[in-house]
Amino acid sequence: MMPILESKGVSKHYGVYKALQDVSLQFFENEIVAIVGPNGAGKTTFVNVLTGLLKPTHGEVSFHGKSIAGVGPVTLAKLGMARAFQLVQIFPQLSVQETIIAAVISQRNMQYNFWSNVGSKSELIERALEVAAIFNLDKKMARQASYLSQGEKKLLDIASAFALSPEVILLDEPTSGISTGEKRGIMDTLMAAAKLAGIKTMLLVEHDMELVAEYSTRIVALAEGKLLADLPPDVFFNDPELQATIIGKRVNHA
Amino acid sequence: MTIKFKLLIVFCLALLCSTPWILSPYYMTLLLPAVAYSIILLGFNLLFGYTGLLSFGHAMYVALGAYTVAILTSRVGIKSMEVNILAAALVCFLISIPIGLLCVRYVRIFFGMLTLAFGMLFHSILFKFYDLSGGDSGIKVIRPSLLGFDLSEIDKTSFLIGPFFYYSIAVMLILALVMWRIVHSPLGLHLQSIRDNPRKAEYLGIKVHRFRLIAFVISAIYGGIGGALLVVPVGLADPELAYWTQSGNIVFMTIFGGFNNFFGPIIGAFAFIGLKDQIVSQTQYWRLVLGIVLILLVVFLPGGIMGLFSGKKSVAPAQEER
Amino acid sequence: MTAFIDIVLSGIFHAAVLFLLAGGLQLVFGVQKIVNLSCGAFYALGAYFGITFVNLALQQGISSSYLLALILLAGIIIGLVGPLIERLLCLVYQREEGFQLLLTFAIMLVLEDLIRMLWGATPMTLGNISMVYGKLNFASTTIPVYKALVIGSSIFLALALGWMLQRTNFGRIVRATAENRRMSEALGVNGVWINVAIFTLGTMLGTIGGALVVPTSAASLDMISEVVVEAFAVVVIGGLGSMRGALVGALIVGLLRAFAVYAYAELELLLIYLIVILVLIIKPSGLYGKAAE
Repeated sequence: MMPILESKGVSKHYGVYKALQDVSLQFFENEIVAIVGPNGAGKTTFVNVLTGLLKPTHGEVSFHGKSIAGVGPVTLAKLGMARAFQLVQIFPQLSVQETIIAAVISQRNMQYNFWSNVGSKSELIERALEVAAIFNLDKKMARQASYLSQGEKKLLDIASAFALSPEVILLDEPTSGISTGEKRGIMDTLMAAAKLAGIKTMLLVEHDMELVAEYSTRIVALAEGKLLADLPPDVFFNDPELQATIIGKRVNHA
Repeated sequence: MTIKFKLLIVFCLALLCSTPWILSPYYMTLLLPAVAYSIILLGFNLLFGYTGLLSFGHAMYVALGAYTVAILTSRVGIKSMEVNILAAALVCFLISIPIGLLCVRYVRIFFGMLTLAFGMLFHSILFKFYDLSGGDSGIKVIRPSLLGFDLSEIDKTSFLIGPFFYYSIAVMLILALVMWRIVHSPLGLHLQSIRDNPRKAEYLGIKVHRFRLIAFVISAIYGGIGGALLVVPVGLADPELAYWTQSGNIVFMTIFGGFNNFFGPIIGAFAFIGLKDQIVSQTQYWRLVLGIVLILLVVFLPGGIMGLFSGKKSVAPAQEER
Repeated sequence: MTAFIDIVLSGIFHAAVLFLLAGGLQLVFGVQKIVNLSCGAFYALGAYFGITFVNLALQQGISSSYLLALILLAGIIIGLVGPLIERLLCLVYQREEGFQLLLTFAIMLVLEDLIRMLWGATPMTLGNISMVYGKLNFASTTIPVYKALVIGSSIFLALALGWMLQRTNFGRIVRATAENRRMSEALGVNGVWINVAIFTLGTMLGTIGGALVVPTSAASLDMISEVVVEAFAVVVIGGLGSMRGALVGALIVGLLRAFAVYAYAELELLLIYLIVILVLIIKPSGLYGKAAE
């Protein structure tokens, strides 16, 4: 089966500093991949290369076989990949409805339409409601984004990414900044959303190993710029050496 | 928009249209630039309020429109106002594209400085190249014909207060309607998302530079058309129209009316011109008074006049790490 | 050849004055991140007050040979309006840049009319008094000693500023705050005092510049808006926030302008704006500034 997203021998050098060394990975449909590793391991750099933000110094990165090296966020979105960041990104003055519609407009290539009233285009509003409902924001469509709670803002941020109907979505630490009690709620919502939105592959950069254990189908571990491990969770968590390198202690999970 | 609000607009329009019978000719001559500036500021606010770009060189497009009309009417002999307006729009369209392409790559202070530099460049050109632009004496504007009617037999005041006044209002209405549709359209929503968070907008597949350029060009066109209407009553296009302090006034007026609201710019144009006239008639130190007004505005009422009425919180942009 | 030296000297003189104004802008921008559109008004204030102060002194019987000292003193004294303006400006420190810009624009309007109130709308001069020190023979031409003294004063001030910024504790604190305000406040630096001090210093440089130039030209209300554009050209070319940039930028603008006036009068300011645009396109951070967007 063709990988949906692939990096071949990707290296990224900054002068003498080797942020990434020869990382080769294939990502397929129906995967929830957790990308883990200590700080400075090159996770962010790898993800930036994978999402076309950085050009690799060596190697290739491709989406459906087509190179996406350094294409930039706009092209990325158009190709069918969405990304959400650790720091919540919203449009402070736009309402929930407007935020999601903005994404829908982009996805449907309606952005040059300067005459239709967004507020009365039912196709846009209905689609926005659909997406919002997945994230339990459908009762808050008129609320201005800056007035949402931190958790809701996070969900809105991710919801707008989902509204692009991407095939692949990449989430940078989706639960960071969220209180421990709310984390699982967010993750459950995310998983349900992915199914409902028809997302084929989800990549998560995560530090919280318990969440990784519970939700991912595959774990990719980076350390010092190199690929350390590419394993399913049960194998990963049964390897104490691996755990020591990545997190420094054993995780107990049910 | 509620029915109440629609009625209010109709009422205001009716009031405006009936002013020739209510107000003295003196006050009528104030309404003319107010209408012209309404158009200019509507365009400016698309760039500022809706797209988040503060230009300090917008006056150059007003001047471009003014000089286009001046040159066409007094040097080329084209008297049709419609042709003049279209020409002003076209000139601004053509010139704003390369300038916009350059400027929209930069934001905040660099955008402001670039636009200021271009504005002053244009001012110098107007000032220094006498043969082209008449230098500091400017170029005369001959009375144009409206909708094909040559109205040169009517005396100046009657022309301005009568046919030209209604003509200007009609142009303003058309342009306001177009702007209303633009800001409420998918394009308008994209502009606002660029204003609020350009980085996120990119991740949603929005070509930020391109849309900023679109806003820039549209605002320039509005500036040019407004400039065309502005210059007819004055009868002269002069370089001071393009001076950077005029650009500052444009920003002042927009903030005065309220940049967070569609109607803010229109209110700002009328209110500012009215206020300035009152102040000038009371004291020669009108700059002092206006300066204090601006200070109070910025410190206590950044949402402007419309900000008094709307419940929306004033703009606090996504805080950037300094 | 004489013409060439004349142009160069004229350019350097202009640069000397421009450096003070632009330097003031850079200080304020570097530390407080505010672009001060009213800098021209302070420049004019220095010019007008310089005239008043010198005339007052002459009336009191003080010899005109003290001109330089009197002028410098005038510039310093009127620069003390700085703290007052700063207290007004501090109301918008937390706001978006556009509003800060507008506030400085408003301050410019207010100051212009205050000047108009105090000194009237007609330009004023100090007559020939700048010739009190006579002329100096330089190469094949002459330059009024006063102008040479102004250039010297500007160099002295530049050196003093440099010393202050590099070698004193105050200077270190200023540089640290310019680099990272939050951090420096977290380390106990009193932000309020720094703001007042820097803004006053920036203002004073402008008023001293205006005062120094007035014996050789005129004080007029036009100065207020005209000099702003030149000062910004210097700041853009030199790089926002950099004092070295202010020095080099001032020299470039001053000399360019002198040459342009001589060679192609029409191009005078035009050339400057073109260069500003070019710099903003090629290297927005200017010669010495930090990287832009």
